[in-house]
Amino acid sequence: MRILPAPFVAIFKNEVRLNAKRIAPYFMALLCAANGVLWWGWGPATRYGWAVNSDFFISGVLPVYSFFTLPLFTALFMADPVIKDFRAEIDPLIFSKPISRAPYLLGKFAGNFFVLACCQSAFVLSWFLLQMVHKEGVVVVPGVTVVPYIKHFLVFVVISHLVLAAFYFVVGALTRSAKIVYGLGVSFYPIYITYQTVAINSLSPRWRSILDPLVMNWNNVHAERRAPEFVNHMRVVYGYDLIANRAAMLLIAALLLTLLYNRFKTLEGSQQAENFSLLNLATNSGHFYEMPGVVLRDVQKPVDLVPLPAVNTANERFANNLRKLIAALAIEFRLLLSERSLFVVMSLAVFLSVLEVTFWPVSADPSFSAGYAGNTATSMLLFLVGIPIFYTGEAIHRDSDVRVEGLLWSHPIPNYVILSAKFLSTLLLVLGLIFSVGVIAIVVQIVKGNTPLQLSAYLNVYSLILVPNAVFLCAMSLVLHVLLPGRYLAYAVGIGICIGLFYFYSQGHLGALYNPLLFKVWSYSDLAGPNRLRILMLRGYTLTLAAGLITFAHLANARRTLRMRS
Amino acid sequence: MLVIRGLTKTYSSGVHALRDVTLDVPAGMFGLLGPNGAGKTTLMKILATLLEPNSGSAHMRDVDLISDKRRARRLLGYLPQDFGFYPTLRADQMLDFFAQLKGVLSVKERRRLVDVLLERVNLSDARRQKLSEFSGGMRQRLGIAQALIGNPLLIIVDEPTSGLDPDERVRFHNLLAESAGEDTVVMLSTHIVSDVSSLCSHMAIIREGEILVSTTPAAAIDELDGSIWEASVPHEKIAGLKTRCRVLSSQMVGGLVRLRVISRNDRPSEEFKPAGAVLEDYYFNLVNEQKRAS
Repeated sequence: MRILPAPFVAIFKNEVRLNAKRIAPYFMALLCAANGVLWWGWGPATRYGWAVNSDFFISGVLPVYSFFTLPLFTALFMADPVIKDFRAEIDPLIFSKPISRAPYLLGKFAGNFFVLACCQSAFVLSWFLLQMVHKEGVVVVPGVTVVPYIKHFLVFVVISHLVLAAFYFVVGALTRSAKIVYGLGVSFYPIYITYQTVAINSLSPRWRSILDPLVMNWNNVHAERRAPEFVNHMRVVYGYDLIANRAAMLLIAALLLTLLYNRFKTLEGSQQAENFSLLNLATNSGHFYEMPGVVLRDVQKPVDLVPLPAVNTANERFANNLRKLIAALAIEFRLLLSERSLFVVMSLAVFLSVLEVTFWPVSADPSFSAGYAGNTATSMLLFLVGIPIFYTGEAIHRDSDVRVEGLLWSHPIPNYVILSAKFLSTLLLVLGLIFSVGVIAIVVQIVKGNTPLQLSAYLNVYSLILVPNAVFLCAMSLVLHVLLPGRYLAYAVGIGICIGLFYFYSQGHLGALYNPLLFKVWSYSDLAGPNRLRILMLRGYTLTLAAGLITFAHLANARRTLRMRS
Repeated sequence: MLVIRGLTKTYSSGVHALRDVTLDVPAGMFGLLGPNGAGKTTLMKILATLLEPNSGSAHMRDVDLISDKRRARRLLGYLPQDFGFYPTLRADQMLDFFAQLKGVLSVKERRRLVDVLLERVNLSDARRQKLSEFSGGMRQRLGIAQALIGNPLLIIVDEPTSGLDPDERVRFHNLLAESAGEDTVVMLSTHIVSDVSSLCSHMAIIREGEILVSTTPAAAIDELDGSIWEASVPHEKIAGLKTRCRVLSSQMVGGLVRLRVISRNDRPSEEFKPAGAVLEDYYFNLVNEQKRAS
């Protein structure tokens, strides 16, 4: 590393060291390795007789692996390397040293991307090791495969995520807002899917391949249709379209970083870090001193001070605490609305939830309104999961971020007031989303002339499916954020649980006991027909679970605050 | 009166932050003086119901501050050392929120209270300004305003004037002095001696988690009256003087070292002239004596 500039090496090493102390990299590596095991032993290879260490299988799976979950982790890793320095107010210490923007930014980027790529490589590493493991139904080609793992991983995973990482890094460093990056991370899937279906779907395969940043369209010579004996020994050669795509991605990443280099300013006051009103009054501390220059005459006899009015205070009864809860809720909601990412996320959520009913035909099953309501309810599920996890985390951790906890906790308010306000503010936000989507879906239905309009259909679907789901997911998010020590861990665990459950449900395990969201198990005829009572009971079960989770969160929160105070 | 008995706090890291702290704090301004790491903030946090001690008790009137936190918080106005506000709120919104948490539920009363508080801390003009735009002094004044809500009987202010400019310090001192009513205990922790000497009727010195002394600033200074000597000497002479005299402090002034020494009976040497005792002398003397004793 001697050939590299010392400041770059120092920044790079420091980033790696800082990441080594976080939980997220280990969790991600574990998740990737577990994903690798699933693909190895229970994926399409076992179904079609493909060898798990064949060139064909490795190159075919890695773009898909690159698509699932990894973009979220890329956003998580690359959002705040620069922001952290400004938030911790280390920036003046760093920029007062002889270091220019280039080694600083490159060191930050490279250090975090290196850790990210190491975590991603757990997938291929698990595959490499699993070559030596025998399992019934899993085919391997003789000999130990090494190079294809490295080559395809670099081409299909590393380069794809290099662009994403550069994009998230640039946005985070320029806006100094990790929340915007997380918002973009959450928006990745809907944007990418829209891009695929709207923008490049009609193009020729070659152009689709060239213009697809994750090379999901890279066609593996239609090998699926050939015999396993053929594809298992097939040697994959990258075509010009793929090479052009990868070269373009590298160029875009370089351009993004160049843009950042030009726009990034280290001067104080040029941009603000996320404005937590942190105040450290111990700036002059260090020794015990007099201030002889300060004249403090007449301190004991101040004049012209307005006497404080006598006020009545009421703290005893439940009704009084309820009024405090309403006050706290108003503040939480006001703070939530001032989140810069909220407008983007909510607009995107509304847009994508009504996208299908707006641009594609909706079947009248059993009525147009039922079709519209059912379709938007399904589209909204992703956001019903993501928004509570993200914004509950913001609400729970905001008080410690801005250091207002000391002031809040010294007031005569029960713990449940503070926590309930945070829970209810997120729930109200989600209910607001549901309401907005409902209103827009109704407008779209009318504009498209799919009448008659049945409000009862919307009411049925939204009140029986979406509202209980929203309550449950907000309660679940609350528990995760109270129990887990950091918001990022809670995000990761939340996403992990969702992915795990999605996989579990997609395998056909849809029993009501472990499917409180009624994922894939309802139709409109159930809500309005003879099965309505069963649905009502299942929703009761979901709400009971939510109540249990909220109670548990309150108990855990009491312990958490007590632990923080001891 | 605030009565503290045998408060002990050991953190999980093994640090003994407080060792059997016992204090009687009368109404009025009480200064808790000590260097960084002495245990001031730990004591303040315990009294503000934010930290659990390992043992000991603290009572304000008949309220147990350790076990009956809900009642304790009704008596309490607290300004921590490190604090912040929600940056996107305005000053009046923030105070209104704290007033509601304090139990001031009448809208009319709250509005009047917020107006008066803002006027008192000279922030009326900034009432509609976002808190993210406040300077350190403005935030500090808003901090004391929220601590005064609900006529608290125990006001705890932890290192409130570090980092403030002289004007802001004077303004802040005035606010604190006015807030100390006949029945109110204002407990001020600081490492700035002049804050205590100019503001407080009573004081205690804390070091390494132990209360070294509880007295009044006047009594402390009187104790050293006539015993303090000062001289400006070249650097080479310092070693010799230090062996002969009990040096309290030394400071470089104009290329010479200004020494302050204590000598109760006679002039330590020719160079020294008598000097008026200040609270800082008392502190250093106390610490030196304790070191010698241990």
